[in-house]
Amino acid sequence: MAPLTFDAIVVGSGISGGWAAKELTEKGLRTIVLEAGRPIDPAVDYVEHVRPHELRFRGMGDRNRIERYQPIQKRCGAVDEYSGKFFVNDLDNPYSFPDDKPFYWIRGRQVGGRSIMWGRHTYRWSDLDFEANVKQGVAVDWPIRYKDIAPWYTYVERFAGIQGRPEGLAHLPDGHFLPPWPLNVAEEKARELCLQKFGGERLITNARQAILTENHGGRPKCHLCGHCERGCVTRSYFSSLTATLPAARVTGRLTLRPFSVVHSVIYDPATRKARGVRVVDGNTLKMFEVHAKVIFLCASSMESARILLNSATSEFPTGLGNSSGELGHNLSDHIMGGGARATLPWFTDRRSLGNRPGAVFVPRFRNVKTTHPDFVRGYGFEGGAERAGWWRGSEMSGFGTSFKKSLVGDLGPWEMTLYGFGEMLPRHENRIELDPHLVDAWGIPALRVVCTYGENEKKLLDDMVVTATEMFEAMGAKDITPIKDDTAPGLVIHEMGTARMGRDPKTSVLNAHNQVWDAENVFMTDGACMTSTANQNPSITYMALTARAVDHAVTLLKRRDL
Amino acid sequence: MQRREVVRFLGAALALPFLPRSAEAAIEAGEQLHLRLGGGEVPFRTLNGAQQALVTDIAGMIIPETDTPGATSVQVPQFIDLILSEWASDDEKTLFLAGLADIDARASALASNSVQPQSQARALRFVDLTLAQKTELLTALDAARADKSGAGLAFGRLKTLTIYGYFTSKPAQMDILKTRMYFDGYKGNVPFTPAS
Repeated sequence: MAPLTFDAIVVGSGISGGWAAKELTEKGLRTIVLEAGRPIDPAVDYVEHVRPHELRFRGMGDRNRIERYQPIQKRCGAVDEYSGKFFVNDLDNPYSFPDDKPFYWIRGRQVGGRSIMWGRHTYRWSDLDFEANVKQGVAVDWPIRYKDIAPWYTYVERFAGIQGRPEGLAHLPDGHFLPPWPLNVAEEKARELCLQKFGGERLITNARQAILTENHGGRPKCHLCGHCERGCVTRSYFSSLTATLPAARVTGRLTLRPFSVVHSVIYDPATRKARGVRVVDGNTLKMFEVHAKVIFLCASSMESARILLNSATSEFPTGLGNSSGELGHNLSDHIMGGGARATLPWFTDRRSLGNRPGAVFVPRFRNVKTTHPDFVRGYGFEGGAERAGWWRGSEMSGFGTSFKKSLVGDLGPWEMTLYGFGEMLPRHENRIELDPHLVDAWGIPALRVVCTYGENEKKLLDDMVVTATEMFEAMGAKDITPIKDDTAPGLVIHEMGTARMGRDPKTSVLNAHNQVWDAENVFMTDGACMTSTANQNPSITYMALTARAVDHAVTLLKRRDL
Repeated sequence: MQRREVVRFLGAALALPFLPRSAEAAIEAGEQLHLRLGGGEVPFRTLNGAQQALVTDIAGMIIPETDTPGATSVQVPQFIDLILSEWASDDEKTLFLAGLADIDARASALASNSVQPQSQARALRFVDLTLAQKTELLTALDAARADKSGAGLAFGRLKTLTIYGYFTSKPAQMDILKTRMYFDGYKGNVPFTPAS
């Protein structure tokens, strides 16, 4: 079969791929998006309004089936009877890790990728984050600063629709916000008490989320059914499936091909550029080529790097783009699991109405204005307060008529959780490589992952427990229960760093515009490019970097520099 | 490649179902199909008659019939049997059924300690107790829900499954809780008085 030819190729249709498709097509390029997985039809696949009694296991999932086919994916809480289908079959998608170093790789292969099930928290980075590596001598310096990305944050926020409460923090810059949902009465009081007690340092603010609180860009506002990971037929949270890909489609220049598993990038030594990609048809297993002037790898941090590792040539024997020796290295996630929960003894005469998919955020307060003696960087808390209703029943003593009446007619106290997400320092030895013995269901060499948390992350985890407990004590909360989950990397689902950006081709894979140093018409704008992780959820930064990189690519193409 | 060819090529790809690649996944797809074609549910595949009676009795005591339906009439025992048959691991099932036997053993001991005449040939079971005795035993088991085995564990599991099975049932969702799915914005400060 002759190669298909387009102006641009985008590999992957998730958060980053969707943005690449939108920007490339809107700037006039005929673009093909190659998605490894199946198409998703919201009318059929989205199940956010299905009630538990309509499902065989009332939402608990077909446990035996999940154990058999999703032994890795099951470790993500969203893999249940509703949303399990948005996560991969682990038997078809193998990878390996050393027995004593588990890394749980949570993956979604479908049109929309993980933007269908993502957490939707969206926080800008600041120069506290971009300058940290160089100031502390960690890894390499980011080649960009906040001023380089700030206009692109604004650009993607305007389109995506981000709700948030402006707080004027230098280290967590305000974005272009839609009005936020209010904090509830219990959270407002928790905020006030913490502001008083900690001199403004520990701020409980409204979660900043890519969920519409008013109609925006042709998409209706959220109706608070509460389970975004099951889909959203009203398109009220941002996903590539219902926002960027439709925008790309209306240009008439988008070709979206599902079941297209990209095997490798084709490198042309004569031009020192990539000519296109080799693709395995997901159904027929036949390989074909797609050629283009520019290629955006947006297949997720580990998949994009895997494609380059599988693209070795005689000039690049360990993988295309790996002249620095950093390709596949510096794999990072965030560290989660420290925090606390407690009962708030207030407002039993008040309730909330509406199921918020996210509630509060506590921006990083460690190593912002003061220096902590035990660790560098910091963490934020996600959480919120609600009244449990009948869900509290199995924790309560009692049975019988009055017990039933209490579960039906009363709500229980306000209960609040603070759960920490911290920065992970990049380390060269944390890496992915090709497993010499393992291939996936499409015959493509699979990955071996070696990744562990370091000492700094463990100290952050310990500190999360301490400070969350302190915050509840400061509020006068009751039944304070520390939380310390010992989680393996991967489970925050924020993989980053496998093809880091940098200032020097000898120590980085990508330049300041996400171009592969060794093949400048190949761009990587997903998590692979991240030189450090900060503690903020990363997706909005991928979006901004993608839009910025496309702008650069098209400028170069117009100058005939690509 | 001509444009028409491209369209046909892409169209063909879209029209095909996504076939599982591994043998295991293909078998699973077949099993799922058979399950659907198999039709109706066979009730009580794990619990025997005596166990059904015990589970039904206790579930009904946890969430009794009042002015609204209780656990029995929304078929919580059938839900528990489904979970035991298709969801629980073998170890969990064994532990739970042993715990049910332990509940009957505790009931038998409680009955023999009382002054009741023991005319029956077989040992007394939980279902044979008076309401007061049942309440006394369940109160003791309620305090032992954290036990790792035996009657306390079985009651803890029964309680959790009864509450979950009851409140996720259609009558509870639609008629009793009247669970709303759509809201016009989030309201975080709404007056509330517990139902009297």
